[in-house]
Amino acid sequence: MKKKILAAILTAAMTIGMVGCGSTSSSDNGNNSASNTEASSNELTVWCWDATFNIPAMEEAEKIYQKDHPDVNVNVVETSWEDIQTKLTTAATSGQTDTLPDIILMNDTALLNNVKNYPDLFADLSDSGIDFSKFASYKTAIGTVDGKNYNVPFDSGVTALYIRTDVIGEAGYSIDDFTDITWSKFIELGEDVLAKTGKPLLSAQAGGPDLLIAMLRSAGDSMFDEDGNPNFAGNDVVAEAVEDYETMVDKGILVEVNDWDQYIGTINNGTVASVINGCWITSTIQAQEDQSGDWGVTTMPRLDNAPNATNYSNNGGAGWMVMNDSPNKDLAIDFLKNTFASSTELYDTILPTTGAVATYLPAAESDAYSQENEFFGGDKIYEKFANYGAEVPAITLGQYWEEAKSALGTALTQIQQGQDIQEALKEADDTVSFAMSE
Amino acid sequence: MSKRKFVYFGKYVFLILVAIISIFPMYWMIVSGTNKSVDVIAGKILPGNYLMENLKSLLDTTVLSQAMWNSIRNAVVSMVLNVFVCSLAGYGFEKFHDKYKDKIMSILLLSMMVPTAATVIPLFRMFGKMGLLNTTVGCILPTVSTAFMIFMFRQAAKSFPDEIIEAARIDGVGEWGIYFKMFLPIMKSTYAAAAIVSFMNAWNSYMWPLIVLQNENSKTMPILVSGLTARYTIDYGSMMLAVTISTIPMLIIFFVLQKNFVEGITGSVKS
Repeated sequence: MKKKILAAILTAAMTIGMVGCGSTSSSDNGNNSASNTEASSNELTVWCWDATFNIPAMEEAEKIYQKDHPDVNVNVVETSWEDIQTKLTTAATSGQTDTLPDIILMNDTALLNNVKNYPDLFADLSDSGIDFSKFASYKTAIGTVDGKNYNVPFDSGVTALYIRTDVIGEAGYSIDDFTDITWSKFIELGEDVLAKTGKPLLSAQAGGPDLLIAMLRSAGDSMFDEDGNPNFAGNDVVAEAVEDYETMVDKGILVEVNDWDQYIGTINNGTVASVINGCWITSTIQAQEDQSGDWGVTTMPRLDNAPNATNYSNNGGAGWMVMNDSPNKDLAIDFLKNTFASSTELYDTILPTTGAVATYLPAAESDAYSQENEFFGGDKIYEKFANYGAEVPAITLGQYWEEAKSALGTALTQIQQGQDIQEALKEADDTVSFAMSE
Repeated sequence: MSKRKFVYFGKYVFLILVAIISIFPMYWMIVSGTNKSVDVIAGKILPGNYLMENLKSLLDTTVLSQAMWNSIRNAVVSMVLNVFVCSLAGYGFEKFHDKYKDKIMSILLLSMMVPTAATVIPLFRMFGKMGLLNTTVGCILPTVSTAFMIFMFRQAAKSFPDEIIEAARIDGVGEWGIYFKMFLPIMKSTYAAAAIVSFMNAWNSYMWPLIVLQNENSKTMPILVSGLTARYTIDYGSMMLAVTISTIPMLIIFFVLQKNFVEGITGSVKS
């Protein structure tokens, strides 16, 4: 009896499987050939991540484009950035580029590396008629490789200082005391806030140099020099940023945590009184509804001694790229040109729902950006972000961003363990050079 | 006597502690699925009332049911084919004789040393040429035969007595008949163990489905969860719910086959 049941189950499983297999594979085949033949080039396939941010933005763009092109559809496949990179690498190295979509979203920090490694994979948009001067200059700089424009810049990662106005109020300060200040002033205020309220100002992931890199960038400095060589050893700006960071850790103004989840915890649980990060962190902060009205937004501190120090920086952000081998290449370019590269209506619509701050400068003039935000005490935060974005210094991100970032993280850990700053930075230089020579 | 009782008691305290440590992450995963994201971050360990909201946000932003179906279908088909093909191979390797078979077996075992990452690109090219990219067949085919499973069945077949085969042959049962009517029922605990391992591998497989499947609707659960972790603002509540949901089929398979699994691992045939 048991045997019979087992046999029946196995047969059933097999049959279901075969049926499912057959039907899906044929329909998949159908889709596949549909997106890869010239004949039915009305569907654009897009790979991007975040169903609460990039994907709704893309879907909104589809609606806007459909007003003039009702027969065009956009098929969004939710794919995390790491997965997009894996798929790109596999397709490019095996020469199977027909498996790639028409448009992908590319992390800014990975653009140069991908364009240099696979120069034929991405469409050159220089002559597409897109007006790149309408985007924040630092964003256009990222997508420009050897004088050619490769991406349509999308969201901003402009950094801001988010601060708990209730906590600093308790210590007798207002947000103005934290606006346009230097790091030494920030440290001084931080000590006082810590003494009076017991709350540290900042948190960061241990060994994660995001804040350091943002500090460098605010002074127009990068982990790479203009020739693409690592730029750590003997660089006074890096040394100053590291020293400021270390001072904050030593004085307890900055608490280090082990991972990203804990970092979010320090913000939402009220462990820290402020956050310095890209403006995409806004919705994470807003998730803690209990703290509504307790937050304010202002500029991040600037380095004291660096020659080009500003209060503006950037962390993160991405842009749209068109695949060169796509049979719908022209349609894809036209789509981006009429949506992300010219439609302020698009940016107006997506701002309230996604919080995606545009790097398309004309968008900032619209009403959506001057909305007051209750969570931040009625402040017009998006207007601020847009204004900050226009001030971010343009830098070379460098082809080996990830390698340099991890080397800087290692150096930071070693310095905390007592190694000499210059010595650790020299080692970081060597590590990156070694990775580049491979 | 009292000393013995004390040791006895101590043993249980230790075991309970260890059990709590191993069960807690699982418990927290399930409970987190019923809480709001900020509560998960705050470390709330009691069940909340946010389950429906989490489920709704999952269903709104992902192709949850489709991904679940894809995962189940791929894993079941892959499991059935894998166990069938590998058991035939393992049985054949052990019970039929050929002077090259040990050499072939060692080549097979060597292939276990090659990491998947190294074979992905050649495999991808091959499937591209065969037109199998973006198809379910393309996703399942590489999992049908695995060196580990063949090895496992070959080891298990060693305990299957040759006398049974000989007796069956004398009685006029054909070779397929011996396999289906003798080997398969007698070795059912091995099959159960193999089925669990195979299902688990197929259910958790990430890299190959990721690169071979290109459509939103052919996504599997691990890839769906990966998409959830890639958001700028991670919704921990619905992420944990998705993880919980994707654990259920594996639990069912495991509990159904559990009794046989233990036998299969320890070996059960006596000649």
